[in-house]
Amino acid sequence: MVFYTQSLLRRITSGHVRMFGTALEAIKVPEEPPQTFRTIENNPANHTIDHMNRFYTIAPEIQKQLFQHGGLTKFFQKQVKTFAECSILIRQPAIEIISYIRQSDYSKPPNKYVLYGEFGVGKSTTLVHLIHYAFATRKILIHVPWAQNWFSRPRETANSIVHEGNIDLPIDAAAWLVHFKNQNHYLLSELDLRVTKDYAWSHRETTSNGTPLLEMINFGINRIKFASEIINVLINELKEASRDGKCSTMVAIDGYNAFFSEYSAIRDDNKKVVPPSRVSLTHAFLNITKSDWCNGIIVVAVDILATKDRRESYLPRFLLNKEGFEHMDPFLPVHVKNYTTDEFEIIAEYYKNRKWIRDISKQGLRELQLLSQNNPYKFMEYCTPL
Amino acid sequence: MSLFIRLCEKNTRIILTKIPNVTASFATTAKPVDIESTEFRVLNLKSKKVENTRKKTRRVEVPPPRANQMAVDQDWPSVWPGPKTFHPAVVPIPIRQGYSLRDQPPPDKYGNTELMKIPNFLHLSPPAVQRHCEALKKFCTEWPVGLETEDKCRKHFPLEVITSDYCYSSPTIREPLSRIVTLRVKLSSLSLNAHAKDKILRLVKDKYSPETDFITITADRCPTKKQNLEYAEYLLTALFHESWRVEDWESEKAEADMEYYDWDKNKSRTNLLTLHAWPNSPTDTDWECIPHVEEYKIAVSDLFNTGEDLHTVNKYKEAVKNVLNLKCEA
Repeated sequence: MVFYTQSLLRRITSGHVRMFGTALEAIKVPEEPPQTFRTIENNPANHTIDHMNRFYTIAPEIQKQLFQHGGLTKFFQKQVKTFAECSILIRQPAIEIISYIRQSDYSKPPNKYVLYGEFGVGKSTTLVHLIHYAFATRKILIHVPWAQNWFSRPRETANSIVHEGNIDLPIDAAAWLVHFKNQNHYLLSELDLRVTKDYAWSHRETTSNGTPLLEMINFGINRIKFASEIINVLINELKEASRDGKCSTMVAIDGYNAFFSEYSAIRDDNKKVVPPSRVSLTHAFLNITKSDWCNGIIVVAVDILATKDRRESYLPRFLLNKEGFEHMDPFLPVHVKNYTTDEFEIIAEYYKNRKWIRDISKQGLRELQLLSQNNPYKFMEYCTPL
Repeated sequence: MSLFIRLCEKNTRIILTKIPNVTASFATTAKPVDIESTEFRVLNLKSKKVENTRKKTRRVEVPPPRANQMAVDQDWPSVWPGPKTFHPAVVPIPIRQGYSLRDQPPPDKYGNTELMKIPNFLHLSPPAVQRHCEALKKFCTEWPVGLETEDKCRKHFPLEVITSDYCYSSPTIREPLSRIVTLRVKLSSLSLNAHAKDKILRLVKDKYSPETDFITITADRCPTKKQNLEYAEYLLTALFHESWRVEDWESEKAEADMEYYDWDKNKSRTNLLTLHAWPNSPTDTDWECIPHVEEYKIAVSDLFNTGEDLHTVNKYKEAVKNVLNLKCEA
């Protein structure tokens, strides 16, 4: 009899259990101690100096909307997945730029901020914070997650139809349009931005005056042949719209110095290297970083890793080269530094809270601090096996 | 005797040596000598060494070193009045000089060639020098008024001529090195405008030291000092006038040929003007009235001219903040 019952029980599938069984009552977990390293102010528009050295969390749906197609660094993304939350430490560079953004005069050309610093200090994460700020303050986002990708790993190349001698990257351009649309579609439809000129792409395909921008973007995503040119037009339209006060725009480009590099993996028909200056995407994004429009913000990050030919120094003028410096000038260089001791302690506490590091003595923590030299990336790396 | 010789010649020599007495008897027969008064003369075939009685050299009495008897307060310049090779007995100092053997001090002053080789300045003791000066004083003229300090001297006589004289006793008194003439002048003491200054620096190249501000011209191609001095003076004159001259091709100098960053000729200036004049198109007239423009200009020029480091980048940042009228709250 007992045997029979057991075999019967075994035969009942989990589906049956789910169907007929009653759910267990939730066990009451003892409440966690208050987390002093966090701030409940999750809207970056309200972030001030008072929130510095505190973590805030980007809501998952916002994170998905903004950074689904890149923006978070690979390592940070992994961490976000592991910790099941996208929390960012509010650091001095971001707060500094936010305070500048609040004071600046939007009737003048956009102020340009250049984030610089050594590898792994958090330039990209600072940019993430600023992008979230721009999103929270309802700005159109022109965000390039990592400009170097277009030149080191181009997915397809084609000769430009419009500009003789230039090279288009149709797939990359369309992918960027998807990214742009993903980030801005609510705002674009809400603001009802429309094309102000007639554009003819081919004999049959035209975009007439008054078409919504979203429609043109969709057209670019579907007809990737014209994607590069559509980005060009889109950027001009956005500049025009910002100038007219219809919207305000934030430009965020990571690895900006890649545009001024000589290195690229793109080859033309004669198998000759095409420098980034001859790629149509470069023209579009250099166009938006010019000072000939207003009602906008430009934040770029320069990184040693974004070039292959100039890697001796991480300082902005060196990385931008003279050409890039003249293009950006006057800009505000903002130094992103390694953790201060306070920040390090907060981060350590956060890691402990996320069970990323356990049972670590004060001495061990000090050792980690010395070993990583307060470098955020290194610290994260060294904590991995702990 | 002649008979005896003849006999000897006929007989063998052995017989002769065997019968010395016989020969003697024969000799006596030849020349009768008084036997009692003289002994036989000995024929010394093996000469005996005569002990050489050496001529004994007479030792010169050396008096004890004079230094031992010198008074402590003696007048040294009169003991050692002029340049002279070192003499151990005259110098009352326990000097040692030379390579020492193991566990031994360096050789002392007696019979020390090392001390004699090197030149000494024992005749140039401070009292001796003072006496010299006293003696020379009556030939001196008064120090010119207005040249009391080094700075004043440099101001009134900016040109410095450096030569070397050599003095030693050798068959020739000529020293090839004495022909070399060095001319030094401060760049700031020459009256040059910006163009001439730039040109002279390009012409002299490494002969200008930015730390000391000196232009140094060394001439050694002529055989005499006078010729070299004249040549160096000629070079300086030529340099000065050449740097003031403006050639036709100098106007063709483009921005790429610039050896330094000139903000006024660069795009940075246009950028700032555009920014300031926005939304109107920039005008070139009144750029100097833009607030903080001077600070910004210096910061940008520094970034290019003195090189980029955290200090110059921060200076640039501050300048940009002032130009854009931003204040850091964090």
